[in-house]
This record gives sequence, C-alpha cells and structure tokens, in this order.
Amino acid sequence: MRFLALLRKELRESLPWLLLAAIVLLAIGGFLLRQAQTYGWYDWSARDFSSSSITRTYGLYYRRSPLQLTGPVLLLTSIGLGLVLGVRHFWIPYFTRTWPFLIHRSVSRSTIFWAKLAAAAIGFTASVGLLWLVLYRYACRPGRFPTPPTLSVFTEGWLFVLLGLVVYLGAALTGLSTARWYTTKVFGLAFAGIVICIVIFQCRLAYAFAAIIIGAVILLSQIIDTFAKREF
Amino acid sequence: MTEPVLQTEGLTKYYGSVLAVDHLDLAIPRGCICGFVGRNGAGKTTAIKLMLGLLRPTAGSSRLLGCDSAALTPAIRQRIGYVTEGHRLFRWMSIAELEKFQRSFFAKQWDDKFFADMIEYFDLPKKRKIKHLSNGERAQVSLALALAPNPELLIMDDPTLGLDAAIRRQFLEGMIELIMREGRTVLFSSHILGDVERVSDRIVVIDKGVLRANCSLEEFRKAVKKVILSFADSTPAEVDIDGLLHCRRSEKELELILVSTADDHIAEWADKTGAEKYHIVKMNLEDQFIEFTAPANHKRMFRWEEI
Repeated sequence: MRFLALLRKELRESLPWLLLAAIVLLAIGGFLLRQAQTYGWYDWSARDFSSSSITRTYGLYYRRSPLQLTGPVLLLTSIGLGLVLGVRHFWIPYFTRTWPFLIHRSVSRSTIFWAKLAAAAIGFTASVGLLWLVLYRYACRPGRFPTPPTLSVFTEGWLFVLLGLVVYLGAALTGLSTARWYTTKVFGLAFAGIVICIVIFQCRLAYAFAAIIIGAVILLSQIIDTFAKREF
Repeated sequence: MTEPVLQTEGLTKYYGSVLAVDHLDLAIPRGCICGFVGRNGAGKTTAIKLMLGLLRPTAGSSRLLGCDSAALTPAIRQRIGYVTEGHRLFRWMSIAELEKFQRSFFAKQWDDKFFADMIEYFDLPKKRKIKHLSNGERAQVSLALALAPNPELLIMDDPTLGLDAAIRRQFLEGMIELIMREGRTVLFSSHILGDVERVSDRIVVIDKGVLRANCSLEEFRKAVKKVILSFADSTPAEVDIDGLLHCRRSEKELELILVSTADDHIAEWADKTGAEKYHIVKMNLEDQFIEFTAPANHKRMFRWEEI
C-alpha cells in the first residue's frame, strides 16, 4: 500500500512528460512513416536485421526499413524522456525542498527509490514503448509497405527504450551526487552517454542488450549506495 | 526514570569547514512541549535534520524514541510527526490527494475525523491544490497532516515562520490539540518567542551550534536577569559578580545581564560596590533571549559602551 502510494505519486508527477514524449513520438514518427508510405523513396531490401548494426538498421548509414527514420526519433525521445524523468524524480525535489517530507515516510529509502524506478519503467513502457508498438504494427499492416519491418527491428527499437532508462539512471545518479559538476557529479550522465555510444555502434543485438544491462547494473548499484547515504 | 524521547550526545555537524552544530548534548523528556530557539543560522534546522536522520553527523549521535537517528526504521518514523521548514508539500496535489497519500503510510493510526475536523476548523477546501494555498494555509495543512496520525513525538521546524498573528494563533491552538493528548511530546523551533512562551513548558536555546540552555521555561524566565545600577560618581572599574553574562556601562550606570544570580547576591554586590540604587528590570522572554544570546562584543547605538 505504501509502495503503491509512492508509485502513484511518481507516476502522477511524470504523467505530463510521458504524455509529451508519446505525442512527440506519435507526431514525428507517424509523420515520417506516412512520408515513407507516400513517397516510398527508400531502399526496402529485405535483410537479416538481427545481425546488422543498429545504427545501420535505423538509417544513419543504410536505409532498409519503413521504420528507418522513426528509429532515431525513438532514440532521441527516449533519451530526452530519460533525462527529464531523472531530473523530475531526483533533482526537482531538491529545489522544491520536498525531499525531507518524502524521506520522512514510514518506508525505507530503498522503497522510495524503487517506487521512482518502477514509475519510470512503467512510464517508459506506457508512452514510448507502447507508441513504438503502435508504429511497428502500423508499418506491418499488409499493403502499407512493399517490405514490412521484421520483428528484430521492433526489438532493436526496444533497445532504444531501454537506453532511455539508462539515461534516467544516469540523470538520477548525477542528481543525487553532492559532488561538484567538474568532478564526480557528472559521472552518471557521462556513463549513460558511453552506454549509448556502445549500444548504437554495436553490431550484435545480444551484445547491445548486454551493454545496456551491465551499464544499468553499474548505475543502479551506485544509485542505491548514494541514495542510502545521501543527506537531505 | 523513563528514557528521554529525544537524546543527543556530542552531536556535531560540519558543512565543509563551517561548524553548524557543536557537541550538542540534549535530552527531552516525554510529555513536554519544548521550544527550540536560536538566532538565524544558530543550527536549529541542522540539529533537527540530524535528529531525524536526514543529515549524517560528523561526530556524536542522537536517538529518537530509543532508536539511533542514523538508522530510524519505518516503524519508528511512523511514530514521529515532522513539519518541515517552510511547509514544503507536493504542490500539484490537492489537500484531499495529500491526505490520501499521507494516510497510506499510517493505515491503522490515521484519524480521519481529526483530520477532517482540523481542515474544517482551518476552513480549507479539500479540493484546492497546495500550489493555490497561501503560506498560512499550507502551514495549517502541514500541521493537520502531522497531527492526524496521532504521533508520539512531533517535531516542527519553524512552523510559524511567515504567518500572520491570526494564523499563528490558529496554528498554535491546533498544536495544543496534540498537547492535550496524554504523553505526547513536541519539539518546535521558532524565532517567535511569544509563541514559545504561549505553548512551551521547556526551552532549549542554541547559539552558533552550541547548546546554551535546556531547562523548564519557568527556570529560564527566573534565571536571566537585567540589573541596572546607578552610581553617584563613577561606575566600578571591575565587575566581578557571579553569573555575569554581559556588562554595559555609561558614565554613572551599569547594566548587567546575569544568569542564575540570586537576588540577595545582587543586593550584596550593589552594596559592596557602593551603588546608589539598583533595580532588576522585568524582561519578557524575547528580551531575555536576545540578551542571553547577544554576542559578547554586542554594542548598542549611542548610549552604552561595552567593557
């Protein structure tokens, strides 16, 4: 019940940003998809996407899927949403001075953190994740494109959604750090940036997922430790 | 003897090189209303945050309801009400939403009727969002939220700061509601000595992080005295009376601030120094506090010269 109360609160605070991300992705992604459908000026050669670079899939170098331009939009939206939610959950309470009120709940600090993370994960799934599914389903409809996107394109899109969560964790760690910007405070965001680079230039889907999981675990362990010791 | 509800031992906090709380040894017995007073920057908020485990001490320790502040369990926190400085609440929530949020952390002990009564007493619409409330209204919501779970210990950080006299009175009356519940303990920091005088039975004075007084309000009222001595020729060069805190002099008058000096002793000393006359000035709590915490080299404009 206490966890649910915290989860509801975090979701409610995140709601405007989740809606905004969903609207951005729907508007731009939908527009690009319609353009591709109308003009058909891409090379839709059927390839095994699971063995190719994610960057290639989404058209930074090669253009092979109806969702090719939607991929970067998804990536940028996820990163943006991760950054905004991280700031909203871990930085803003510092400026609004609501941390003491929140911390003095009859729950452990870790419960407060997990409620925030759960809200972010649910939020990502419900906004960009769901929208990605909608766009994918739209592109898969028979008759829309000569070569509909493969399932691996959809999976790779989820990599981008997860990257958003890594950025969220990076922003959380940076927000919780009491160090100076030019020292270790920037570690969280810098680390998330490195994970993004590793993932988008990764050729194998499994390696990309592994990079995300390892990155997330490292950030999580740091955050849990920092949050437990943090002064409010 | 029962264990104090709140106890600190050598509690010390540095922010970098700045000493905010200096070896605070404090014990607050159960069932008292304790006014925690000090000037701006005296270390009140830091001390309260240390007690609640929101800050980590540089040295020393503190215990609330028998539990180490650095490791307050959810069960212990449930027994402690806390009104934060500035009544910082979630601005986007309405009073009803905030009530629901707060209630979920106090399932069994939450008193719906009490909360509703307080909100009605303060004449607050439950649907109004916190961001649309005035400072005073937010303070009232804060108090209602803190009192409704019927906490054993209520800690309030400058709860009446920025409130007008009428709202302050309402707020204090709300606080008295809790006081009337047997065995409850209240610690509240304040700048407004009138408030402390009205509701407290104990006073803790902190100055530059150092504990200066921890006694009953009555003892404090009796202990801090201002004495003005008049001399026919000139004031004595040396002032060696027991309990002397400050001494200011003009050509033919001495103004002494004394702590715990008996009236008989004052009379004896006046006689010994050849004072023409002397009188003990009646001071209110605010004057006593100001004199008690005035720096040693504190100067007044125009008239007095420090020694």
